[in-house]
Amino acid sequence: MANVIVVGYDGADGAQAALAESLDLCRDLEAELVAVFGYGVPIPERESADYRETLRELGEKFTDEAVRRAEEAGVKASAEVVFEKAAQALVDAAAKHDARMIVVGSHGEGPLAGALLGSVPHRLVHLAEQPVLVVRR
Amino acid sequence: MMEGTAGAGGLKKNAIGYLSNVVIGVASTAPGYSIAATLGFVVAIAGVGLAAPAVMLVSFIPMFCIAYAYRYMNQADPDCGTTFSWATRGLGPSAGWLGGWAIVVTDVIVMASLSQIAAIYTFLLFDWNSAAESQVAVMIAGVIWIFLMTLICYLGTELSARTQQILLAIEIFTLTLFAIWALAKVYINNPAGSLHVQASWFSPFSVDSFGALINGVLLGTFIYWGWDSGVAVNEESEDSATGPGKAAVVSTLLLLGIYLIVSAAAQAYGGPDLLIDNADDVLSVLGTQVFPSPLDKLLIITVLTSASASTQTTILPTARATLSMARQKAFPPSFGKIHPRHLTPSYSTVWMGVVSTIWFISIELLSPDNVLGDSVTALGFGIAFYYGITGIACVLFYRRELRKDFKTFFYAGVLPLVGAISLFGIFGKSLIDYSKPANTNTAILGIGSPVAIGVGSLLLGVVVMFFARFRYREFFSRKPEVFDPATAGQAIVPEEAI
Repeated sequence: MANVIVVGYDGADGAQAALAESLDLCRDLEAELVAVFGYGVPIPERESADYRETLRELGEKFTDEAVRRAEEAGVKASAEVVFEKAAQALVDAAAKHDARMIVVGSHGEGPLAGALLGSVPHRLVHLAEQPVLVVRR
Repeated sequence: MMEGTAGAGGLKKNAIGYLSNVVIGVASTAPGYSIAATLGFVVAIAGVGLAAPAVMLVSFIPMFCIAYAYRYMNQADPDCGTTFSWATRGLGPSAGWLGGWAIVVTDVIVMASLSQIAAIYTFLLFDWNSAAESQVAVMIAGVIWIFLMTLICYLGTELSARTQQILLAIEIFTLTLFAIWALAKVYINNPAGSLHVQASWFSPFSVDSFGALINGVLLGTFIYWGWDSGVAVNEESEDSATGPGKAAVVSTLLLLGIYLIVSAAAQAYGGPDLLIDNADDVLSVLGTQVFPSPLDKLLIITVLTSASASTQTTILPTARATLSMARQKAFPPSFGKIHPRHLTPSYSTVWMGVVSTIWFISIELLSPDNVLGDSVTALGFGIAFYYGITGIACVLFYRRELRKDFKTFFYAGVLPLVGAISLFGIFGKSLIDYSKPANTNTAILGIGSPVAIGVGSLLLGVVVMFFARFRYREFFSRKPEVFDPATAGQAIVPEEAI
């Protein structure tokens, strides 16, 4: 197991809390941070690379921001922007980096959307091999 | 042993991909809604009458040819998947821009038909017949429908592949059950006005005139509209050498089968007059007569789920097309905006919902009676136009490859060209026929409304493009490209043709 903590970051309030918590943990554990953004989209949308490209750019904007904040806090950090839905993207990134844990916000999309979509943390605790830390906003 | 296990695992994976390819192909054409919206109007064309199933059969041919243009263009430029970017490459920026415009306006126009059908069938589901016949009630329900569907697309809520498969299974089951039930009644009970199925219904030669057949095919293009997007999505699935090809054939046969059996059963049960009199809602009227209660509601629910799937597959690609145009600097940049939470093209989606609502309300107010039939006919013009330019773009883009081997020559050259020529031919012939208000249900400014709406919206695109040329100089100075095996990167020629 590598000394890596994976955090899901999409710029939302929940993700801010998750980022802050994971930065604290990284400092205490002297771990590296990997900021992950997943942008899986419904089937009809997959046809358009322009759309995918736009989403990837958005993801890079977010993860760059997370990496910058980590470096300001003295934590070594890198970014992963993955064409997968958020939960799967986090699971994949955690496996790729052999991470020790995954940190996410409790909800990024609001309680109603969370209920409709099946929230990311809910899926994550079922999918992930690593411990999952859910941070309340 | 190891090999056996791996093989079994691989088979399962392919089987799932294969099934979902079939589902996408059939679901994006929305058979239940397509029949409900068109069958009555096809039968109503003077000279077609009982040969409606033959029209369904013939309409498929140009769509089949154009599907190959989609397949090849998608292979060379798998990124963008839209007529906009393919026609820009094959024919130049003006054709590309107009192609993009045509996609957007046809999608806006179809929203009026979709929401009208959805509104009527929602009322009929609850036996609220007075509301279904009230124009104001239909208009209000239609606007609510557009709002809800836009909201769903804005939020990026998607049905799982599994749910889609179940819904489609119910749709196909219900339509087949309806056809069998209707035919059984025809042959056992002989209800008043029913006819026995005849071979001549399926023969294009039993249509009175070639012109009538062409006019029917213009409407028929609508029922296969969307089939191409299934083919395009197929490309990216696993085992793309054989799986998608087979899936395309299966979904095609399934679709053709459904259309033939349902249209034949519908006219066998009620005869042409019943279909013409109830052209707005053929399936609900037939459903109550054919099925015992409450089974008739199943048919209404089927049309509703079909219409909702169709609305989604209308809004999503439109937003995608305008986003694509914005990114390639051919359209205002705000159309390229993405919602940071929902990851949807937010601006494009909202804009699509608003324009559709305005269009729906104004078409209901301006031309109250039978707008549905005329706007479906109008759609035929837009569809024929942008499918046609996709075909031509494919031939030109691949022109240097055509002599290399017969397969490329035939599938990337002959078929797209035949498809394009026949679609432009249908466009031209229908333009002449439908310009005369005598041949249409309604007229706008003395021109038959299918032409006024369908061709008018394309001409409006030419006017808008005139201004766009000044604004987006960089895009409009692009030159047409030719297929270059070196830059295409991916497989150049499909290993296995459909």
